[in-house]
Amino acid sequence: MVSMRALRSGLVLALALSATACGGGGGGGVGVGPPPPPPPASNVASVTIDQGPLNASVNMLFASVTVCVPGSTANCQTIDHIQVDTGSYGLRILAPVLTLTLPVETLANGNSLVECTQFVDGYSWGPVVSADVQIAGETAHSLPVQVIGDTRFTNIPTNCSSTGGTQEDTVATFGANGILGIGPFQLDCGDCDTVATHGLYYACATTCTETTVPTNLQMPNPITHFAADNNGAIIVLPSVAAGGAANVGGSLIFGIDTQANNQSGTQTVLTVDGNAEFPITFNGQTLANSFIDSGSNGIYFNDSSISKCVAPPNDPTSQIVNFYCPPNTLSFGLSIQGMNGVMANNLTFNVGNAQTMLNSNFDAFPQLAGTNPNPGSFDYGLAFFYGRRVAVAVEGDTTSAGTGPYIAF
Amino acid sequence: MPLFQSDALKRSEAVKRAALGVLLIAALGPRIASATLGEPEVTVQTDVVRAHASIKSSQDRANYRVHEIQLPSGTVMREFVAPNGNVFAVAWQGPTRPDLRQALGQYFDTYASAPRSKLADRRHVQIQQGDLVVQAGGHMRALSGRAYLLSAVPSGVDLGDLH
Repeated sequence: MVSMRALRSGLVLALALSATACGGGGGGGVGVGPPPPPPPASNVASVTIDQGPLNASVNMLFASVTVCVPGSTANCQTIDHIQVDTGSYGLRILAPVLTLTLPVETLANGNSLVECTQFVDGYSWGPVVSADVQIAGETAHSLPVQVIGDTRFTNIPTNCSSTGGTQEDTVATFGANGILGIGPFQLDCGDCDTVATHGLYYACATTCTETTVPTNLQMPNPITHFAADNNGAIIVLPSVAAGGAANVGGSLIFGIDTQANNQSGTQTVLTVDGNAEFPITFNGQTLANSFIDSGSNGIYFNDSSISKCVAPPNDPTSQIVNFYCPPNTLSFGLSIQGMNGVMANNLTFNVGNAQTMLNSNFDAFPQLAGTNPNPGSFDYGLAFFYGRRVAVAVEGDTTSAGTGPYIAF
Repeated sequence: MPLFQSDALKRSEAVKRAALGVLLIAALGPRIASATLGEPEVTVQTDVVRAHASIKSSQDRANYRVHEIQLPSGTVMREFVAPNGNVFAVAWQGPTRPDLRQALGQYFDTYASAPRSKLADRRHVQIQQGDLVVQAGGHMRALSGRAYLLSAVPSGVDLGDLH
């Protein structure tokens, strides 16, 4: 699909050939098929799917990010294994991997701004700091960044821990050195400038209390703070062999229709709703709360006809039982309806045996699938991005193909 | 519970709902928040942790009653009450989570300390610890989930309806 698009553009073809000549295919174990990675450019960051900092990651996409003390070009640090997540917003770094001391954002009353970030399975506590952030050739000055697990703020308010789940304040519990949230919205909260009761933002002096926050201090999608190429991003990953692969490389291209290497062309544009979701129709059911998300490690949907995995005898409480283990690979179709009415029909995906995959030494699995805790949702994770060129346009920003928030491929 | 045996139950569905809503507001006051899993429906009266919450609707379904509660954060909670008057399930959907320590009560610590999946991706929760089941999904700015007590689910209730 992408190679056909490349053939329509002599420029892109030339760039692709040049990348191949430079050995742009990456290391061994990379899956087969298109698309070739684009060449290094100021708006292109390399991304990888590998075992991650815990040597245990599955379908987790990573990039490196350079952070500097604001205004400094010397007090900087490059941090690897930052997860690339189109299902969240904001750059968050785990304190133990950060050697810099970054200034904490303060509210008008002088209190420090600290966030209790809510993920589905837990929360991460840490201050919002200011940093100059560089990814590839793009820079965001004085970007609000969360430092998770910062030892300057160790008293977690009850209102934060009461949101429940795992406290994810270490690399071991977080599974990455940080996260780069580049979903289709501007901020990590829709109304925290006027609503304090989300349990997200806290004003901290000797104690911490829930607070409203001016939008300029809230955690933003970092792309929106770049000087250029700031209307979204495109993730380009190769196809991955059915049984999986190790150390898959790809590209994170900043901007959409801002440079020769990020043109929309004839991509299908699907706008998303106020939850960054759209309906996916699968097995005759239309699931309204569906989404495409590089931060989900599987394809999560419910089909009671598919065999689930069995917990191994030495791990009877294993969560593997929530994944699918069909004896033979199964093929399915689905369709997506954008909120703009545009349909993406006749999409197909395969479901393989999760236990077989996890017994391998690979870390990228296009056929890893499991049950969805939400019966009204189809959660199409990183597997959707394999073999595709997926654009995520930010709300309110315009490209030649439309106005965000949208996902296009 | 007197509410369950109200004469309103014998009227038309619309009249019934309206009457129940009035009764509940009268009984519980306008500033209630959430009841607690495994505890009586009247626990809503003692809950002042999340003031400014309000009941959007109360509806009787076959074998249980569901209260829909609007939190000021925009998140909606649903609480499912068995005929014996105890809350057997809570569910939530919205930009952020409700106070689950409040909503899960004595079961919160079991939930919070449950072993984490080796396949955790910050997107999914599927926990069963003894009688407690917690399931959650979604992503930042759109979180949903539910918790229920297996042994307390009234017979004939479709688990798929508890959301």
